[in-house]
Amino acid sequence: MRQDFIKFPLHLIVHPFDSFWDMKYEGKGKVRVALTILLLVVISMILKDQFAGFLVNYNDPRHLNSITQLFTVVFPFFLWCLSNWAITTLMDGEGKFKEIMMATAYALVPLVIIYIPMIVASRFMAEEETAFYYLMMSISSIWFVALLFVGIMTVHQYTVLKTVVTMLLTVAVMGIVVFLGTLVLSMLQQIIEFFINIYRELIFRT
Amino acid sequence: MIAKKWLLSLMAASLLIVYTAPEPAYAESAPYESYNYNYWEEAVPAPAAYIPERTLTGKDLGVGDFREPGDMAVAASGLIYIADSGNGRIICLDPDWEVIKVITGFDNQGTEDSFKNPSGLYITEDGNLYVADTDNGRVVILSPEGELLGMVEKPASDILPADFKFIPVKVTVDQAERVYVIAKGIFEGIMQFDKNGEFIGYVGTNKVQRDYTEYLWRLISTKAQKAQMALFVPTEFSNIDVDAKGFLYATNIDPGSKEPVKRLNPSGEDVLKRFGYFDIKGDIRYRTAVGPSKFTDIKVLANGMYSALDANQGKVFTYNDEGDLLYVYGGKGNQTGTFKIPVAVEFSQENQLVLDRGKGNIVVFKPTRFGTSVNEAVGYHYNGEDSLAVPVWREVLKLNSNYDIAYIGIGKSLLMDKNNKEALKYFKLGMDRDGYSVAFKRYRREVMQEHFGTFLTAVMILVLAWLSYKLFSFWRRKRLITASRQASPNLKEGNAHEAGFH
Repeated sequence: MRQDFIKFPLHLIVHPFDSFWDMKYEGKGKVRVALTILLLVVISMILKDQFAGFLVNYNDPRHLNSITQLFTVVFPFFLWCLSNWAITTLMDGEGKFKEIMMATAYALVPLVIIYIPMIVASRFMAEEETAFYYLMMSISSIWFVALLFVGIMTVHQYTVLKTVVTMLLTVAVMGIVVFLGTLVLSMLQQIIEFFINIYRELIFRT
Repeated sequence: MIAKKWLLSLMAASLLIVYTAPEPAYAESAPYESYNYNYWEEAVPAPAAYIPERTLTGKDLGVGDFREPGDMAVAASGLIYIADSGNGRIICLDPDWEVIKVITGFDNQGTEDSFKNPSGLYITEDGNLYVADTDNGRVVILSPEGELLGMVEKPASDILPADFKFIPVKVTVDQAERVYVIAKGIFEGIMQFDKNGEFIGYVGTNKVQRDYTEYLWRLISTKAQKAQMALFVPTEFSNIDVDAKGFLYATNIDPGSKEPVKRLNPSGEDVLKRFGYFDIKGDIRYRTAVGPSKFTDIKVLANGMYSALDANQGKVFTYNDEGDLLYVYGGKGNQTGTFKIPVAVEFSQENQLVLDRGKGNIVVFKPTRFGTSVNEAVGYHYNGEDSLAVPVWREVLKLNSNYDIAYIGIGKSLLMDKNNKEALKYFKLGMDRDGYSVAFKRYRREVMQEHFGTFLTAVMILVLAWLSYKLFSFWRRKRLITASRQASPNLKEGNAHEAGFH
């Protein structure tokens, strides 16, 4: 329990090359840990929007919605995993979907461990010190991207250049998926409407 | 039983009495919606600050209908001057709206001279009248008695082209008797003349805004197409006023501008304070069919406040010296208190006057309790008497609890009184992050000073406890080790054995 949920993720974020290797070949890392991390990210995002100090919190409290927050994290996460899986199967990636998902989720750990203390710290900051808050936020994002990069590279056994290209392509594929998704949904809507109209006509004629 | 019945009927009767009481003064309504913008740039309903009291046409004044009146000015003495452009006359009224005189002409070195479409007016402290005599191409300076004191005519200068036409539209004079003129077709800025009528130069040019899509179009279009395109010249100023310190307030009608109001210092730089949540440009949100605010007049009021008249939507926006929008009144329409083509805003005592060219009348607005309180509080704050402002701000908050400026005002006063914790609360309500930060820093220091001793003691105790724990465990381990050594004296022998294998 402690090994899976605390020690390994914490080890991973400072020794990504070893740990992602272990994750792929030694069977370390678990899906439920990945999902827990995802949940923690959502929670820390919600906490940040709600409880970050007044000087750094530019959210309109009337428009905060935890469900929306949940989806703005969970949806892109799975979209990323799916797109990455789709693109890497075409590009001789060795990673399985499960591995991509775990690598992505474990890469999110720095967000959680930096956000939560910074939320607390930001409540005790004056305006000049908020620069530190933003610095830490940027560090967490950069750290996340770096880990994701190493993770994808290790999981698929890619070269550096290929990893960069794949990641960019993944973002493009995400856009395509969203586009196709909306297209399909709107077509479905029209088809349904069409059948409803036929049904109505029939009802009124008879 | 009977007593109960009596009581009931008495209660009913008292209710009746309450309801037949005369309507309170605040029930007077305005024909426009009053609002102010909150931090999130939403227009939030607010009590009206000014309500229309009466309208006055030329007929009401007994001088015949106005024809396209162009400007209005109120002298320090309280006299009100109206430039009745279409009729070529200046009408002078006293504060009670009695006509004192009608100036139709003046004695120009023996010959009788008259105005032709005078569309700008200014009254100096001494009561001298400056008239922008538009179609005659001159600015006429008259004494309070109506004698000609001088004229500013077409300037001769090397920087002006030979075919230059001088068409003055608006005029303002500062304490040094420099004359500032907005002339038609002059894009270089406001024309500045010295007291003898000599042209000095331009002040405060509007900048041309770069439009990159237009720039791209220009790159790919032919010469013939380019000739058809609109030229990018700076916009003209639409009106000017001068404040007590000699700073010029100028408005322009550039539709996309974020800075349609400028406060120009003597060297022509814009020094308007813009500390409010949003730009000083009138309406932040507007219907695209109506378009953004287009300021045609500006009036500097007392205590650093200024009112800008938006001709596009017929509204008057009043700001304080720091650039916070205080209140909005007016609108387009046909009722009393709404305008067709408003051209000038002025103030006379506590009332505000708006001259409507389209209807040919003057609308008198009187402040409501809300408006009076806001003006009073802004005045106190401007003069540094924040503690006096607080009760007035509280009064304002009673009338409009969404009034952010009042919260900030109270916060500032509390900060002044070193009541930092309370100030924090008010700054947060007013969404003033700068004020909040200052208050927070002081409050934090206070708390630290108060609790630093306790904090340090706690840390010392913790450190001591930790040290003693370490010491204790170390001592215990040592004792255990010595005990185990004594229990197994053959340890050395084992080592020797191992060494022997190598």
